[in-house]
Amino acid sequence: MYRLAYGITRNPADAEEIVQDVFLQVVRKGTGFEGRAALASWIYRVTTNVALNKRRGKRYQVETSLDDVLPTWEADGHRAGPRAFLVANWSERPDAELLSGEARRILEEAIDRLPEHYRAVLILKDVEELSNEEVATAVGDSVSAVKTRLHRARMALREILTRRLGPPA
Amino acid sequence: MMTCHDVIDVLADYLDQALPPEVVADLERHLAGCEPCRAYLATYRRTRALGAQPPAWRCRTR
Repeated sequence: MYRLAYGITRNPADAEEIVQDVFLQVVRKGTGFEGRAALASWIYRVTTNVALNKRRGKRYQVETSLDDVLPTWEADGHRAGPRAFLVANWSERPDAELLSGEARRILEEAIDRLPEHYRAVLILKDVEELSNEEVATAVGDSVSAVKTRLHRARMALREILTRRLGPPA
Repeated sequence: MMTCHDVIDVLADYLDQALPPEVVADLERHLAGCEPCRAYLATYRRTRALGAQPPAWRCRTR
């Protein structure tokens, strides 16, 4: 619960408040759940809602317009940009390098720059490993909207990482 | 024949193994001849894995 709340808000104090809020709601709701799966699903939904509400009107960092960090296209369907950038492939670098030092800072900044609705689906799917249907239930949106948002969030992160880790564009 | 744009549009479903076999065949044929798309797929897949790992989603001060 804390991981999800922190993942969306990126603020430890807010995340702790959210966990307390959700616990209170669980206690108030009592035993009205049909099994653990229903409770887990409800907790994901409530935590996501409370975290997104907490963020509303509280923009600590400038969030990127995703259009600035999504691929652009030529008329014939090729990706636009210099070839050195298009073929930049940093994927073979070891975890030790990508999850520490400068590369880790770049990753953290890239995640911070995502709008919170995009961070929410990213953490629910890629960190909590929920299905697309479960993510859709948690965020109160359609499966197709969730899939689109998830793909755009990953593309944006990939683009930011490649601009910083790959050869100059 | 799929374009680069078509390929990148369906990468999430490709990684989830949620595409019909004929689309997978088309996509893999495209990948075989397109270095930019191979680089894109490799870095997209790695981005997904990196984003899922701590410490990026965890509180840095705890």
